[in-house]
Amino acid sequence: MADNTIKIKINGFEVEAFDRQPLIEVAEKIGVKIPTLCHNPIIEPYGVCRICTVEVRHRNRVRMVTACNYPVTNGIEVFTDSERVIRNRKLIIEWLLGRCGNVKVLNDLAEQYGITEPRFGRGTDDCILCGLCVRMCQDVVKANVLGFFERGPKRYVSTSFDQTSDLCITCGACASVCPTGCIKIDKLEEGTYKEMPMGPVTPIHIDFMQAVPKKAVIDKESCINFKTGGCKVCVDVCEAEAIDHSMEAKEKEVDVGTIILSTGFKLQNGEELKEYGYGKYPNILSSLDFEVLNNANGPTGGKIFTQDGRVPKSIGIVHCVGSRDKKYHEYCSRVCCMYALKFAHLIKEKIHDCEVYNFYIDMRCFGKGYEEFYNRLLKEGVNFVRGKVAEITDAALDKSEQGKLILRAEDTLIGTVRRIPVDMVVLCLAIEAQEDAKEVSHFFSCSVGRDGFFIEKHPKLAPVSTAADGIFIAGVAQGPKDIPDTVAQAGAAASAVLSLIQQKEVEAEVVTASIDEEICSGCQICVGLCPYTAITYNKDKNISELNEALCKGCGTCVAACPSGAAQQKNFRDNQIFAEIKGILAV
Amino acid sequence: MAYRSHILLCSGTGCVSCGAFTLKETLKTELQKRNLQDEIQVVTTGCQGFCAEGPIMIVQPDGIFYCQVKPSDVPTIVEEHFIKGRPVKKLLYTGAAKATPIPALKDIPFFAKQQLVVLRNRGLVDPDKIEDYIAVDGYSALSKALTEMKPEAIIAEIKRSGLRGRGGGGFPAGIKWETCRKAYLQRNVEPVVICNADEGDPGAYMDRSIIESDPHAVLEGMAIAAYAIGAKEGFIYIRHEYPLARQRLLNAIEQAKEYGLLGENILNTNFSFNIEIVQGAGAFVCGESTALMASLEGEVGEPRAKYIHTVEYGYKNRPSNLNNVETYANVPLIILRGSDWFASMGTGDPRENPWNGSSGTKVFSLVGKVNNTGLIEVPMGISLREIIFDIGGGIPKGKKFKAVQTGGPSGGCLPESKLDMPVDFDSLTEAGSMMGSGGMIVMDEETCMVDVARYFISFLTEESCGKCTPCREGLRTMLDILNRICEGKGKEEDIAFLEEMGEVMQDCCLCALGTSAPNPVLSTIEYFKNEYLEHIKNHKCPGGVCKELITYVIDKNKCDGCHACTKVCSSNAIKGEAKKLHSIDTTKCIKCGACIEVCTKDAIYKE
Ligand SMILES: Cc1cc2nc3c(=O)[nH]c(=O)nc-3n(C[C@H](O)[C@H](O)[C@H](O)COP(=O)(O)O)c2cc1C
Ligand code: SF4
Ligand code: SF4
Ligand code: FES
Repeated sequence: MADNTIKIKINGFEVEAFDRQPLIEVAEKIGVKIPTLCHNPIIEPYGVCRICTVEVRHRNRVRMVTACNYPVTNGIEVFTDSERVIRNRKLIIEWLLGRCGNVKVLNDLAEQYGITEPRFGRGTDDCILCGLCVRMCQDVVKANVLGFFERGPKRYVSTSFDQTSDLCITCGACASVCPTGCIKIDKLEEGTYKEMPMGPVTPIHIDFMQAVPKKAVIDKESCINFKTGGCKVCVDVCEAEAIDHSMEAKEKEVDVGTIILSTGFKLQNGEELKEYGYGKYPNILSSLDFEVLNNANGPTGGKIFTQDGRVPKSIGIVHCVGSRDKKYHEYCSRVCCMYALKFAHLIKEKIHDCEVYNFYIDMRCFGKGYEEFYNRLLKEGVNFVRGKVAEITDAALDKSEQGKLILRAEDTLIGTVRRIPVDMVVLCLAIEAQEDAKEVSHFFSCSVGRDGFFIEKHPKLAPVSTAADGIFIAGVAQGPKDIPDTVAQAGAAASAVLSLIQQKEVEAEVVTASIDEEICSGCQICVGLCPYTAITYNKDKNISELNEALCKGCGTCVAACPSGAAQQKNFRDNQIFAEIKGILAV
Repeated sequence: MAYRSHILLCSGTGCVSCGAFTLKETLKTELQKRNLQDEIQVVTTGCQGFCAEGPIMIVQPDGIFYCQVKPSDVPTIVEEHFIKGRPVKKLLYTGAAKATPIPALKDIPFFAKQQLVVLRNRGLVDPDKIEDYIAVDGYSALSKALTEMKPEAIIAEIKRSGLRGRGGGGFPAGIKWETCRKAYLQRNVEPVVICNADEGDPGAYMDRSIIESDPHAVLEGMAIAAYAIGAKEGFIYIRHEYPLARQRLLNAIEQAKEYGLLGENILNTNFSFNIEIVQGAGAFVCGESTALMASLEGEVGEPRAKYIHTVEYGYKNRPSNLNNVETYANVPLIILRGSDWFASMGTGDPRENPWNGSSGTKVFSLVGKVNNTGLIEVPMGISLREIIFDIGGGIPKGKKFKAVQTGGPSGGCLPESKLDMPVDFDSLTEAGSMMGSGGMIVMDEETCMVDVARYFISFLTEESCGKCTPCREGLRTMLDILNRICEGKGKEEDIAFLEEMGEVMQDCCLCALGTSAPNPVLSTIEYFKNEYLEHIKNHKCPGGVCKELITYVIDKNKCDGCHACTKVCSSNAIKGEAKKLHSIDTTKCIKCGACIEVCTKDAIYKE
């Protein structure tokens, strides 16, 4: 037969298989179901529960083999439900029930095989000793925390000396494969919740459904492979063979003619606002934290819980945190009011009886449909308190405030200071320019404003261009804006770039400076002065060199050069002197 | 070396525990005192086999056999035997019947029916001297193999001889070697040869005795196997309870290396072979091939599925040839004397097909209710009756034979009707027992077969690794039920239930420990079903063993009121005035049996 395909018979049907392919795979392929208890395709077969025992006949020889690890060979005949197989299987189920009488998988099997009451009674253990957890921990995760102890009927699964193990990385892999669900990991929810407050659910994940590019990434911090060198389960299942744990970040140089700076923003660090207690009280979330918590792909599957796993009965949402505030940012972050309303709406939708309080200075619901949304929320029973929150604290004044976070704010509509106790607070933190925006602007010969956002060449006439030719800006890097505005601006920047590319060539300035290599002393005065970073210092030659494509011909360097090496084309000193002479000669 | 006589002093396990070493010292001082140290040499040897009669001493060249020698006998021996030249009568063997003393070893029935192949050198060579071994043709088989034979020819010879594995399975060694060599040539992965000296069966000491009395025979056998297979590396996996055997092996390896019989370029050929000794983890299941290899690799000694054979993918996934100590010890003689000679012993003619019959001899440890307990080597095919009644000298105290258990803890119990059955691999298996590694326990009429089954099942329950469901849970439930039956709480359906469990275990267990574990239960049910029924239906233990089912009674007609029993009864259960009939209070009696032992009138019996 060609290559290594062979033919076997399962319950009378002829099937093609690979030589030595595990019998269970072949059976599955044709839809023959064989019960298993100690088998999991991602773990090496172990063959110990024996529930998968089937009958194999070959040349007058009848054998009982375990399907999960039996390698098929040409010509064998398999019977998965012969009388003898059923007898054996039933007794195995009875035996296991004698150990673990209350385990669901066993009772399901018992029902399937018509066992009403096992003849040896029912045991009260809940581990069927399938070893999936042990093999998961040892062979896959390679953490070597779990093992078998004692022999024979006394065998049990545990950690060394039955002690909490330092080696355990709380990955939970053992619990995830246990067919009886008998493994409880202490503080698993708490553990993972704390470790990655709003982080990804699994180490390998697609950041969020709208991510661009929508590709899976591995979180090095939580990936088992980076802790123990083991696991790599993802590698086995990835048919595209795209996963490579040894991959390192690489720097690439790309030659381009135009650049769009769309470096985005950063959310203000909530801890800067001491009075709001972010980072101090666990149930104070930033707007981004809440976005993740609320996400259907998030750690809680979109359910809203407090850190200790309660469903909050009241939530405060504070607008304008760090924005419109002389101490931090004078500007309005533009998007907070609307997403705060969205939060309020979603909370109400998920937890009907939750009281939601929005604290605002004034509502900025500009744009299509926004004001209407605000009005709808007023009807949905969301509370709006006009006034800035002065402080958030857990210091309770009376019983009703105990165990709560109390927001103290002046309600300017009724003119009193209010204390509102809630279970959770969401801070609508300010949108900030990236920390390195200034550095980046130098790099690209454009500039940033006082607020740190990139400055456009002209607010009305050239909103996506910068002072540097070929450098464009788009998105929040240019200033706070929402997604529709960002997309519109990005489109504009893209078309500006395309029109340049379409021209295939650019007109250089006619009048540019030039540096005479012979005369230049390498003092580098010009390098720092050039507003367009057109001059770089060449260390090897110990001279300064000028990039004519960048030079705007402003002449700053020419004026500053002490040795007269920098000269303006067509306006060289001798030309000018000649012109003067000519004029005077007339 | 002009000694006029040699004293061969057995230093096997049995004799050492009876004081063989003290005896040796006393002998030496006594000889010195008489200034005979240059005429008479004292040699310590491995087990002579007749352990029941230890300490044993054989004086050569006449072959005079002294038994149960005590240090206080030494002056007499030296005086009478070595100075006056006449054997000491009272130390000669007489047999159970206390008949005429038999001076010569060859005439003692215990030895007469034996045929020594593996144990040929027992008592002849000093196991710590390679020179002794070489003097009796040792290592000439290796030399013949290396210089005159091709590997294929050796394998063919072993196959033709019909040598089957002595470790229990009875798999033809030649076929195993051939498969191993083929795997090596196909994959070009260096093979290993491994010697299984784990001997975990309780009470078995065949392998230990072979190693302790003739370690070089094992090494030579392994070296020949290694050459035939293509291996350069060998392991002996020995249980850690065998420090003396291990020491002898280490010593033997050292000496063989000095003589160029192991190590690099053996006998100046380009064949090199080194042997390493590895101490076992001590569990019975570690003797199983896959568990043994896991243990060798430093993993937990637990079996794994054998769908991929260890001969092909064994130790570190290398082709691995595992044979038992006795299997290897047979090899040198087969090479030296030829397969025809070996095949001529035993049953069947294996020369065309090694599966055909059982050739050669087998070493057994004969223990239990038999007069001559000890280590014996007999040709395959000998009957159980010959072993038990001729060699073993029958059942002590004129009791009746009930059963013999062969094959170690998971062997079966065979009844009287099977006594004339030939002892070979296939007959034993067919009868519901097995050859195993050669344990043989004789049981008399005072044995309870249910209790025997319970004993072995309880041993196996302790020794099961617990990895697979049918063995772990099956043994546990079997033991529960047997315990219940022994306590008189059995139910009639229990028998069918035990049989069903036994069959499922035979079908489904992962390793041979589990698949063979039901043997003691199934064979006792087959041959002694009435005993089970007696327990279950009538709450009686015919063997008088199961405490819950027996009562101790005093025979009115025999008791003379001597008070002997009342003195030993620790629970004050026996009442009665002096010189008058005594009686036992069954509510107090703990059935320890102490009274029966002391009653000189045989007035106490079990009911
Ligand atoms: C539970 C169990 C225990 C065993 N113990 C031993 C042992 O102690 N010594 C031994 O030689 N073989 C033992 N065997 C048999 C070995 O698995 C193997 O068959 C043998 O070593 C192969 O050698 P042979 O072919 O020369 O007999 C045991 C088998 C089982 C299933
Ligand atoms: S704890 Fe669960 S996974 Fe582990 S052996 Fe027991 S049943 Fe199997
Ligand atoms: S049959 Fe017994 S000894 Fe063998 S693997 Fe199963 S549990 Fe372990
Ligand atoms: S699934 Fe095959 S033995 Fe457990």
